[in-house]
Amino acid sequence: MGTISKILGLALTAGGAVILAYGMGPDAGGLSFILFTVGLVVMSVGFSLLTAGRKKEEVKASLPTVTEIRCNGCDFKEIRDYEKGDYILKPLEANCPKCNGKMTIEGVYVVREESDQDRF
Amino acid sequence: MQIGLPEGDYSWILNLVFFGFIITMSLYGQKIQMWQWLKQIEAGLIELKRMAIESRQSAIDAFKEHGTEEEEVAKEIDRWLDYFTIMPVDLDPAGILTRLDHLLDQRRDRFQEFVTDLTPDASNSERMNLENTLEVTQVLSLIFRIVRHFYLLGKKTGSTIMVMQVQMIMPELLRLAKAYSDAMEAFAQGKPIGDGIGPLVVTKLAREYEATPETYVHEVTKEVGYYPIEVEGRTVYALRATGPGGTVGKPGFAVKKIVADNKGKIARIITVDAALKLEGEEMGRVSEGTGAAIGDPGPEKYAIEQAATEYGIGIEAIVIKEDEAAAVGVMDKRVLDSVPEVIERIKIAITKRTKPGDKIILAGIGNTIGIGL
Repeated sequence: MGTISKILGLALTAGGAVILAYGMGPDAGGLSFILFTVGLVVMSVGFSLLTAGRKKEEVKASLPTVTEIRCNGCDFKEIRDYEKGDYILKPLEANCPKCNGKMTIEGVYVVREESDQDRF
Repeated sequence: MQIGLPEGDYSWILNLVFFGFIITMSLYGQKIQMWQWLKQIEAGLIELKRMAIESRQSAIDAFKEHGTEEEEVAKEIDRWLDYFTIMPVDLDPAGILTRLDHLLDQRRDRFQEFVTDLTPDASNSERMNLENTLEVTQVLSLIFRIVRHFYLLGKKTGSTIMVMQVQMIMPELLRLAKAYSDAMEAFAQGKPIGDGIGPLVVTKLAREYEATPETYVHEVTKEVGYYPIEVEGRTVYALRATGPGGTVGKPGFAVKKIVADNKGKIARIITVDAALKLEGEEMGRVSEGTGAAIGDPGPEKYAIEQAATEYGIGIEAIVIKEDEAAAVGVMDKRVLDSVPEVIERIKIAITKRTKPGDKIILAGIGNTIGIGL
């Protein structure tokens, strides 16, 4: 149904455009107004069919969740993929590779895309 | 281009088309419009149904991880999706908040009972997260069923006003449903959500002043406790719900209890919470104001306001702006990045508006899913 209506919509839009163009040309004579109107109507029906129905769903991969780990003693910081069981402020068993100190999960988050800035 | 009135023989065609169009639109215009609206609602309903089915499946998957057979889980969840709470009668509003609080307690007890029955071997934290998962599934199912009800009723009765209203509100419903649908992952896996920024801020501030999970005083009220800390010579009760399981607890009543325990000798109550941002505002923006920042149905906020008013305690709120999707979805980096600024503002509020020796309640309001003590 979706594909058929799109093809039909495209055909009607094209047909409407041809009628419209002919109606606006010098050969239409006394029928110019009718052809112009009919062309517009046919085109609008075609456009409606083309744009009708559900928009194709954007297949958006879910945003990856990351875990930010920081050393309690130095400035070491590591960001890795989220693992089940991670939570913010969870003390980790692994020690800091830089100073061998204790490490804690300081953040579990996603980075969402910035939407386009509006003029306001 | 030559557009003009057709001459001679053809003018009747144009007249016929024109009058035909007018008559058709006068007689059937509204029907055509209705048909269009119904088609649009139908498209939205398909989307809502998909989200409801997917969230139900996610809930089933999350529950069956704890050993119960899929069939049994599915049967029980389907039974639970219809669970309702009857709001207290408001013809006589006296004592309505006490009655509402009682009903909400009962509702939560039933939820906990349901989850415990299905997952006898799960830990407390896991059960709290499963409760949240179940609630999201319920919300999505409810949105779908209500929209379907009005769609079918509008179609059956031909009521333009009913169909029109549903069609107009549909984009907002879809936005809300999508936010909850996207949040299923967070609740099912126990990831922190944007709404948890309040408890996170309080915990990070408390940690700066030597608080640890061991110093946390549990169960002041149901699932809420506090870290007693000293900030610039003031005693601060840094209050939040227990985590990392998903719970909001009853922080309002905890504030009331601490005020009562201190015989009203509290200099200031500061609440920190996530707030819905206005479109155009930046995510993670920090705002301050007066009042109790807590988005409960009423009893909790009332408890804080009542305690503050009774003892003349200064009350202020700091909120972190988020949209619906960020509030119920996995915490956004921009929201997390606001923590230092909020902590700074809390410190200013404490040092500027209280004096050494004072006692202050700092309440981090929000869901503690994925946020450790």
